[in-house]
Amino acid sequence: MLLTEYEGKCLLREAGVTVSDGFLARSADTVTRRKLPYPVAVKAQVASGSRGKAGGVARAATPAGARSAARRILAMRFGEERPAAVLVEPWLAITRELYLCVTVDQAAEGYVVLYAPRGGVDIERGKPPVRYDVGPARNFRAYRLREVVRDIEPDASVREKVIALARRLVEMARARDCVTVEINPLAQLDDGSLVAADAKIVRDEYAAFRAPDIAASIVNASKKQSQPIARALAGDLMLVWLDGEVGLISGGAGMTMATMDLIGDTGGRPACFLDCSANPTPAGYRLAFDLLDKAPQVKVILVSIFGGLTQMDRVARVMKDLMQQRRSRKPVVFRLNGTNAKRVEEIFAGTGLRNHATLESAVAESVAIARKAGRQ
Amino acid sequence: MSVLIDQRSRFVIQGITGNVGRFSARDMREYGTAVVGGVSVNPREREVEGIPVFPDVRSACAATGADASVIYVPAATALDHVIEAAEAGIKLLVYPGDGLPVRDAIEMRAAAKTNGAILIGPNTPGLISPGKAKAGFMPSFCYMPGQLGVISRSGSLSYEACFRLTSAGLGQTTVIGIGGDPIKGVSPAEALELLHADPETRAIVFLGEIGGNDEYTVASYASRPDAKPVAALIVGREAPRGKKMGHAAALIGSQADTHPAKMKALLNAGVHATGSVTELVAAVRAAILSIPEMVDKPFPLDVLLSPRERG
Repeated sequence: MLLTEYEGKCLLREAGVTVSDGFLARSADTVTRRKLPYPVAVKAQVASGSRGKAGGVARAATPAGARSAARRILAMRFGEERPAAVLVEPWLAITRELYLCVTVDQAAEGYVVLYAPRGGVDIERGKPPVRYDVGPARNFRAYRLREVVRDIEPDASVREKVIALARRLVEMARARDCVTVEINPLAQLDDGSLVAADAKIVRDEYAAFRAPDIAASIVNASKKQSQPIARALAGDLMLVWLDGEVGLISGGAGMTMATMDLIGDTGGRPACFLDCSANPTPAGYRLAFDLLDKAPQVKVILVSIFGGLTQMDRVARVMKDLMQQRRSRKPVVFRLNGTNAKRVEEIFAGTGLRNHATLESAVAESVAIARKAGRQ
Repeated sequence: MSVLIDQRSRFVIQGITGNVGRFSARDMREYGTAVVGGVSVNPREREVEGIPVFPDVRSACAATGADASVIYVPAATALDHVIEAAEAGIKLLVYPGDGLPVRDAIEMRAAAKTNGAILIGPNTPGLISPGKAKAGFMPSFCYMPGQLGVISRSGSLSYEACFRLTSAGLGQTTVIGIGGDPIKGVSPAEALELLHADPETRAIVFLGEIGGNDEYTVASYASRPDAKPVAALIVGREAPRGKKMGHAAALIGSQADTHPAKMKALLNAGVHATGSVTELVAAVRAAILSIPEMVDKPFPLDVLLSPRERG
């Protein structure tokens, strides 16, 4: 999960990285509650990129200016997200903006360090950063990074600071379960010191079982989600709403995407990505139906599962029970295949439920139902 | 031939007394795979499905001569079990579990490498050499022996895809589930090398998706002058930007992650790529037909096509 800049900077500070000294304000009035030398930077706290280009960062020379900037920024939207707070920091006198990032990469077999002597908002338009493939964190070697950086960073003092910082970031990524730690810009100040002027840190949600702060962030993030998404998360289902009308209940990410694409090819539009593979139980499927039955845009529900570990005779029995108990009259189309799928037909016999032999025919029927509902 | 596993592979199953371990042990045996032992750190049963259960991997290996392991344990302890197997001398490690922290995936891969072992996983159904052996829980009926090497980022999609290939008479040498996580035990580049070096694998099928760099690795392989023909199915065209699609690595962040960018790179490299599961079999046939000797001599094509298609 992507942290806000403020959360990211707290993590950096704990790792001994110099960050600018700011504070969080949740309303325009509290922006001036703490004394800072002016000018200040007022920055939207959102977990999404390209904030600066969207106008989410402002320079304010006076307290009144800071309040009005905060008011404007707090009313903005960044994608679907409204900032819950602004970060107020002293405005830095930057002599050069650098780029430094540690992330996880298959080719590196672990962590990779990326460095560019010119960073900032237009980093993607410049020369691509140089890379040093570290692998596991313990394999970090300063001299190897020096070899990579030497030709593009002639300022030896900056270079050595960057190398020392890179080691801290790699160690922090490992110790704090970060997938990405990006500092852009890494600001060089008049006195030659380097300060993390921004922080884009992605933490590994899978590490929540051993990192209480990640677990807490997940709980916080799910509170901000709409109710159906929060319910899905709580029930171990993966739900992403799309803007179509064919509700899709499926298992496995690849198969779900393949089915979504086929719905598109057939002239329909998927209403969601709803992967039940992490909880293929009666409770999981009941929740999936409940979520889609309550969503007015969903005109038909396609259950498309190709099970490996998920045994399809069990799924078919669950579906049979659910269909008998369910109140909604939204049509349901089935395509169940995989382990023990041979028994699905006999389980469905006499229930009026039909299992399609191919994904194509199940998708075609679903799209046809959705279209008919759309015309009415 | 096949890669990584065949009839001679001797497996232990770590976590054999759990539900998944028990199910998979029976299923692998039914497929004819030599499951010679099980491991449980707290064995309350002396055997499961007639398979002897040992308290640790070292004693299981000593008693059974096992050289491969499938590890069914929760993510929180997975790294420790994989390291134990690697240090006991197991040369093929299969960890199918999902939800593994990426730091642990990095350590798992390093542990395998240090001990001269190969790791398949995490987040995969495993791998299968049809007609010879399976190491994982993919549905067996989806596969048949043949000459296609298959690499997949997604378990469920590989069942559907291989079911279609098998139904069309297009069998497989080995199907490798490399998994959907950002750090993989066997990377796409390594899986491609394995299949490239296997003389019985005549063409390669890659099942990919949005997000990550794997498809670009496939494109660069296909650009090599000595490359085997490659077909690819890439899913996720309907996925929105910035939302994680189930797999940790299936996220469109940058332009290179998108479906059109990947399709373009693959097609430019001469890969028979499609974005539609319906067109997969046709794409694979086109790849087979591009094998140079197939163009001049239609006869050897027979070995790749089903009796029905031979007419």
